Amino acid sequence: MDEKRARFEAEVLPHLDAAYRFARWLSYAPGDADDVVQEAVLRAFRGFDTLRGSDVKAWLLAIVRNCHSTALKQQRRRAFVPLPEENDAQDGYAMTATTPDPENASIRRDEKRTLDRLIAALPEEHRTVLMLREIEEMDYRQIARVTNVPIGTVMSRLARSRAALKARWLQEAEGEPHAVR
Amino acid sequence: MRCAESLRVQAYFDAEVDAVSAADIERHIEHCAECRALLQDLEQVRTVLRRDSSYARTPEALRARIMGALDQESASPRPRERVSPNRRIRPFWMGALGAVGGTAIAATFAFLLLVPRLNNPLLDELVSAHVRSLMPTHLIDVVSTDKHTVKPWFAGHTDVSPVVADFEPQGYRLIGGRADYLDHQRSAVVVYQHGSHIINVFSWAGNERALPNNVTRNGYHLAFWKAGDLEYCAVSDTAWDELEGLVRLLRDIGARDGRDSAPN
Repeated sequence: MDEKRARFEAEVLPHLDAAYRFARWLSYAPGDADDVVQEAVLRAFRGFDTLRGSDVKAWLLAIVRNCHSTALKQQRRRAFVPLPEENDAQDGYAMTATTPDPENASIRRDEKRTLDRLIAALPEEHRTVLMLREIEEMDYRQIARVTNVPIGTVMSRLARSRAALKARWLQEAEGEPHAVR
Repeated sequence: MRCAESLRVQAYFDAEVDAVSAADIERHIEHCAECRALLQDLEQVRTVLRRDSSYARTPEALRARIMGALDQESASPRPRERVSPNRRIRPFWMGALGAVGGTAIAATFAFLLLVPRLNNPLLDELVSAHVRSLMPTHLIDVVSTDKHTVKPWFAGHTDVSPVVADFEPQGYRLIGGRADYLDHQRSAVVVYQHGSHIINVFSWAGNERALPNNVTRNGYHLAFWKAGDLEYCAVSDTAWDELEGLVRLLRDIGARDGRDSAPN
């Protein structure tokens, strides 16, 4: 293993999980995310010599976003892929089933699933900005770099996605009795 | 209709404003009920997202695939698409010969310089053993948070008797032990949990060979040290400082209790 490879592994690969999560938020389809991440890591490796500055994470995630757009263009697909059907089926099952497990745990699992579903339903450009801020804890400048939009756009997308998630979460909570269709 | 200050309030919430603007915004929030409510909403959304949203990690299969692709990439530095069109007019073999020659020379030097440190099969063994341990049901042979259970178990199942201690107060919880075949012997592995990270502490009977330097490989950190006749390596994807924190604790105990680290 040469020196470049060793440096790459030490500096870039610790952000592999962040890159993987980001790819999932972009496409929400696990298989696609795999290919995008692999392509991004290879491109990052080839361009590693040109990396300036220390913000490796934002740099790597920007490459993931590039690879994602390229893949989208190639496949001419719509940007938003809904969650697979069986998840919906599971949701319905979990809500109607009278399982004997501890109630709290089961409610908590339902909440997690509901939340994941609501996140998945956000438009991609809202979902990515929101998750980069709240889960990856990036600042506005980093998010602007990763998503390639001005900081003002980052701020308005953040505001809209937070408001939308909050509203849908409330709706879901109020509509609980009707959720069992 | 939203308050005109809502984006500034959000920036304040995200710690994106300087102290002067922050004071300004705080004054505004005092008499704007709408912005007070907004601040609560922002807090609530953040709490729910950080607590309940799925936190995906790279599947091991994908990680392995990527490492394989990187191996290929570093083994054959092909001329990439960035080569300008008129350079392509040169016969392919000239470029190829040049590249091969240059690479061969570079590779020879790299080989001479780096092989003793980087091409150490022990590193591969350790990383593989760590990754394997993270697969379902491979992590722990003896489940216990009690060192008086874990340590005697090693006596019957491994060739060494390493330092075993629980550091729960310091954030490193002992969760069990395991036997792994490593460096041609039955090595002992003490397993700790630190936050959501697993730390495997491998130990084996030392020999004359120099211990590798601390290194990061495949995204995992490996920290080495010697205590008595045993060699240790802590492996994890946790941050370096946190890994070294555990190493320090273990070394301190090993130094105090030298007989603990004698081979059986």
